[in-house]
Amino acid sequence: MFDSLFAFLFRYPAVVFERGRLALDSGRAGWLAAALLAAAALATWSYLRAKGKARPADRLVLLALRTAMLALLVLCLARPRLVLSSLVPQQNFLAVLIDDSRSMRVADQDGRPRAEFVARALGADTAALRVALAQRFRLRFFRFSSAAERVDDIGQLGYAGTSTRIGAALDQVRQELAGVPLAGVVLVSDGADDARESLAAPLLSLRAARVPVFTVGVGQRALRRDIEIQRVDAPVSVLRGTALVVDVVVAQTGFAGRRVPLYVEDGGRIVAEQDVDLPPDGEPTPVRVRFPADSAGPRRYRVRIPAQPGEVVSQNNEQTALVRVSDRRARILYMEGEPRFEVKFLRRAVADDPNLRLVVLLRTAPRKLLRLDVDSADELVAGFPTTRQELFRYDAIVLGSIEASFFTHEQLQLMADFVAERGGGLLMLGGRRSFAAGGYAGTPLADALPVELAPGAAEGRFTPVKIEPTRAGRAHAVTQLAPTEDSSVARWKTLPALSVVNRVTRVKPGASALLLGRSDSLADDEVVLAAQRYGRGRALAFTPQDSWIWRMDAAMPVDDATHRTFWRQLLRSLVDGVPTPVQAVVAADRAEPGQPVTVQAEVADSAFLAVDDAQVTARVRGPAGAGQELSLPWTVQRDGSYGTPFTPGAAGLYEVALDARRGGRLLGTDTTYVAAAPSTMEYFGAAMREPLLRRIADETGGRFYTPAELHRLPEDIRYVGSGTSRIEEKELWDLPAVFLLLLLLAGAEWGWRRARGLA
Amino acid sequence: MMGARLLLVLALALALGTASAGTPAAPGARETPAPLQGANVAYDGRYTLARIRYTANERGNYEFFGDRLQVWEHDYPRSERHMARILAEVTGIVPDLDASNIFTADDGKLDEFPITYFCEAGFWGPTDKEVVGMRNYMLKGGFVIIDDFRGEDWENFLVQLGRVLPGIRPIRLDVSHPIFHVFFDVKALPTVAPTFRRYTPEFYGLFENNDPHGRMMAIVDYNNDVSEYWEWSDTGTFGMDLTNEAYKLGINYIVYAMTH
Repeated sequence: MFDSLFAFLFRYPAVVFERGRLALDSGRAGWLAAALLAAAALATWSYLRAKGKARPADRLVLLALRTAMLALLVLCLARPRLVLSSLVPQQNFLAVLIDDSRSMRVADQDGRPRAEFVARALGADTAALRVALAQRFRLRFFRFSSAAERVDDIGQLGYAGTSTRIGAALDQVRQELAGVPLAGVVLVSDGADDARESLAAPLLSLRAARVPVFTVGVGQRALRRDIEIQRVDAPVSVLRGTALVVDVVVAQTGFAGRRVPLYVEDGGRIVAEQDVDLPPDGEPTPVRVRFPADSAGPRRYRVRIPAQPGEVVSQNNEQTALVRVSDRRARILYMEGEPRFEVKFLRRAVADDPNLRLVVLLRTAPRKLLRLDVDSADELVAGFPTTRQELFRYDAIVLGSIEASFFTHEQLQLMADFVAERGGGLLMLGGRRSFAAGGYAGTPLADALPVELAPGAAEGRFTPVKIEPTRAGRAHAVTQLAPTEDSSVARWKTLPALSVVNRVTRVKPGASALLLGRSDSLADDEVVLAAQRYGRGRALAFTPQDSWIWRMDAAMPVDDATHRTFWRQLLRSLVDGVPTPVQAVVAADRAEPGQPVTVQAEVADSAFLAVDDAQVTARVRGPAGAGQELSLPWTVQRDGSYGTPFTPGAAGLYEVALDARRGGRLLGTDTTYVAAAPSTMEYFGAAMREPLLRRIADETGGRFYTPAELHRLPEDIRYVGSGTSRIEEKELWDLPAVFLLLLLLAGAEWGWRRARGLA
Repeated sequence: MMGARLLLVLALALALGTASAGTPAAPGARETPAPLQGANVAYDGRYTLARIRYTANERGNYEFFGDRLQVWEHDYPRSERHMARILAEVTGIVPDLDASNIFTADDGKLDEFPITYFCEAGFWGPTDKEVVGMRNYMLKGGFVIIDDFRGEDWENFLVQLGRVLPGIRPIRLDVSHPIFHVFFDVKALPTVAPTFRRYTPEFYGLFENNDPHGRMMAIVDYNNDVSEYWEWSDTGTFGMDLTNEAYKLGINYIVYAMTH
C-alpha cells in the first residue's frame, strides 16, 4: 500500500531519491530568486494594506500559505531534478548466488519449503523477478553450500548441501567474475552459515572490489514451533566404567512448559533417559545426563528428543558426542605417612575396579616403608620416586598424612612438574601431617594445590563436619551420589559427618570448591573438596581424614556403595584425560566425507620431554576396513608436535592408530577416531539469520531484502550497483506530489478564509 | 630385624617400668579390672583399641580364681594398654594410650573402631542382635582379632560363627601369608601357647566370600592366647622371646587390618 502510494506520488523508486543529487537550472536562478522576493513582497504588502475584519493572526497564516505556494511555483520554474548514475542495461553482469544446502528445505516460508520460493522467484524464465533482472543485467547463476558452482538452470539445485560457507562462496564468485563489469551479487540464503572461518576477509575483499552484495533472506526470523539440542558437552576420553556426566543445552519455541523425554543412545541402545521441562521461548536450558561408560572403544552417544507434533525442523532434535572409552588401567601412586584406615578403605573402594590401580607406598614407621600392589619387585624399592621417568609413569599422585619434609625439595618440585608439565593428577588428603600442618606452605607443591595454605598453621583440633555440595559441586561429576542432581543432594544430607584436623577455609582464585563442611564449632566453612587446573594437569584437595566412616558408620547399610562410588569418581576424575607420552589428536572428531581433517600427534619421551626427531606413523582404518598409512612430519611450530591432513572418503568411523619411534625404539602409541558423516549443523539455528545477512549487505554497500521487498531489487541494483554506468537526470517539477502540494496549499488558504468568515 | 630388636628393648622397658612401680604380678593374681563401659572414649581421629563384649553361653559364667570375671574381658585392660604403648613406640600409628573401648556387637559405636579384639570364643553365645551387629561390622570392613580359645572351644566357635556369617569357612594360614610380614617379617609361627601348653597354636583367616585372596575379615588365633603375652609383658612372666613374637603378631595384625 505504502509502496504503491509512494510510486504514484513520486514516480521514481526510493533509491533514486536516496542516491540522487538535487540540481536546479542555474541559468534562471538569479531572476527566479528576484521574482520570488518580489512576489513575496507584493503578497505581504497586499495583505497588510487590505482593510477588513481579519485579525493579525489570520493575516499571518494566509500570508504564510500564499508565500509557500508562490515559493513552490518559483521552485518548479527552476526545473528541479535529481542527478544520479545508473547502470547501463545489459552492459553489466549480475551474479545470483543461491543457497543449495539442506536447510533450504525447511518449510517455514508460508508453510512451504524455502527452496520453493527460490524456484518461484527465479526458476522460470518468465518469473517476474528474473525477467526484471534479465532486462537490466547479464545474469550468472551460482549455487553454493560448502563451495560455489556455476549453474545454468535453477532446476539443477538439489538442496542437499550439508554445510553453508557463505564467505568462501562469495570469495569464489568474486574471483570468478573478476574480469567482467560486475554490478553486484545477489545472495539468496537463509544465512545458516556454519563455516569455521571468519566472514571478515571475504567481505573486505568485496568492499575493496566495490562489489555490493544484495542479500535476500528466506525463512522466518524465528521458527514458530521447534525444539533444538543446541550443544552436547562430553569428555573426550574416559576410563571404562566412569559415570559420564554429559551437559546438554536445549532451546525451543512454541513448546514452553511442555515436558519431553531426552534419550541418550549408544549404538541404538538407550543408555540414559531423562525428562526435560522445556523453558520459555528462546531461553536455553541446561540438562545434565548421567550414565555409565560401560563399553570400551569409541562410543558415539546420540542425544535426542523425539520430534514433537507440529515441529518445523526435527533434524535439530539430536546431536552426537564421540567419547573414547579406554579400557586401560590408570596407575595412581598413593603416598601415605602413617598406617590409618583411609588406606584400607581407599584400596577396598577400587579393589575390583579393572581400570584403576592404586599403588600404595606407606610409611609404617620412621624409615620403614610398605609397598602394596606394586607391579614388579623393583617398583618403588628405593622409596618415593626421585626421577621424572620413575614418577611420570603414574597418572596421578595421592598424598595422605605425610609431611612435606619427608620429601626432598627436588621431589616436591618433581610433583609440581608432574601436574604442570606431565599433566598428571594430584590429590592431597586431610590428616595430621597434611596441608599447612604438613609444612607445605612455601613449597613448590603449594602452588599446585587448589586451596590456600596459611603459613605456619599448626594442626587443628579434631572437628566433625557435616558435608554439603556447593553450587558447583551439586552438578559436578565427582560428587554425584545418585542418578539425579536432586537425589544426589538429598543423599549428601543423610551422610554421616567426617572429621577434619586441617583448617582449610579458602580456595585459590580459579579453583572450585565442590564440597564444604559445616560445624557449629567452626566460624568458617571448611573446604572439604576443591579442584583446579594447574598447567596441563589437575590438582584436588580432600580435607577429611576419615572418609572410611561413610563405609563403617552404623547408619550406613551394609550394601551401601556411597564410599566406593565417591572414591572411584574422585580417582577417575584425577586420571581422566591424563596424557600419555604419545597423544593422537584430531582437530574435530567429526568430519565431512571428502573434507580434509588434520591428524596431529604430540610426542614426548618417558620423562615427558618433547621429541622433535621421532618417526610418527598413523594407520588409518576406514569403515570398510581398508587401511592407509600416513607419515606425520614435525610441524616445526611447536616442540613435539607432528601433523598431516587426512581426507575420509566414505561416511563412517575411522580409526587413527599412531605410533612414534625414535631411532627404531618405540616411544608410544595412541589411537583416536574420526567420524565422517554428513553434518546436520545446517538445521541448528535454522531460523533465517537476518543479522548475518544484513551485515554482509551493510559491509559491502548492498542491501538486505525479505521476499516481500524483493520487487525493489532490480531497480535498486541499477542505481546502487557498480559497473558500467551513465548519468541520469530525473525531473521533479512534474511529480504528482508537487501538484498535490500546490492544491493542498491553495485548499488550505480557501478553507482558512471560509472557517474565519473572510471569504 | 632392627624393629624386632627395638621391640625387645621396648618390651623390656615396659616390664622394668612397671616392675619398678610395684611387685610383679603373676598369672592369676590379676589387677581388678578397670570400670568397663564407663571407660569408653569417643572416636577422636586416633586409633583406639576396642574389644567385643558378648553374651556368654551357659559355659561362660564361671568362677575364675575367686573373682567373677566375664569371659570376654580376659586380659583387659592391660593387654590393650601395653599394645597401645608398643604401637606408639614402634609404628607410625598414633593410638590413644590412655583408653580402650568395649562394645557389644550390636552397639553402633563399635563401627567407629574398625579393628576389634575378641576372646574366648568357646563361651560365645551371642543374641540375635549381636549376631547381626557382628555380621554387619565384618561385612562393612571391620576386622576382628579372635584370640584366646582352644581345644573344644572350636566347636562352639564354628556354630556361632555360622550364625554370624552363614557359609563362612575358616581358612588355615601358614607363615607365608602377608599378614605375618606386613610390618615385622615373622619367620616362623609360634608353636607354644602361653597357657594350656598341650595345644599347638593354629592360625586361620576368615575371608570375604571364602576367597583366600580376598579381604580378610578376621584373624583367628586358635589354641593360642597372644594377648596373654601382651598383658604380662611388663612382668617377665613369659619369656621375652615369646612376648616379642606375640607383639610382632599383634602389630602385624593391626597394620594389616589398617591397610588390607
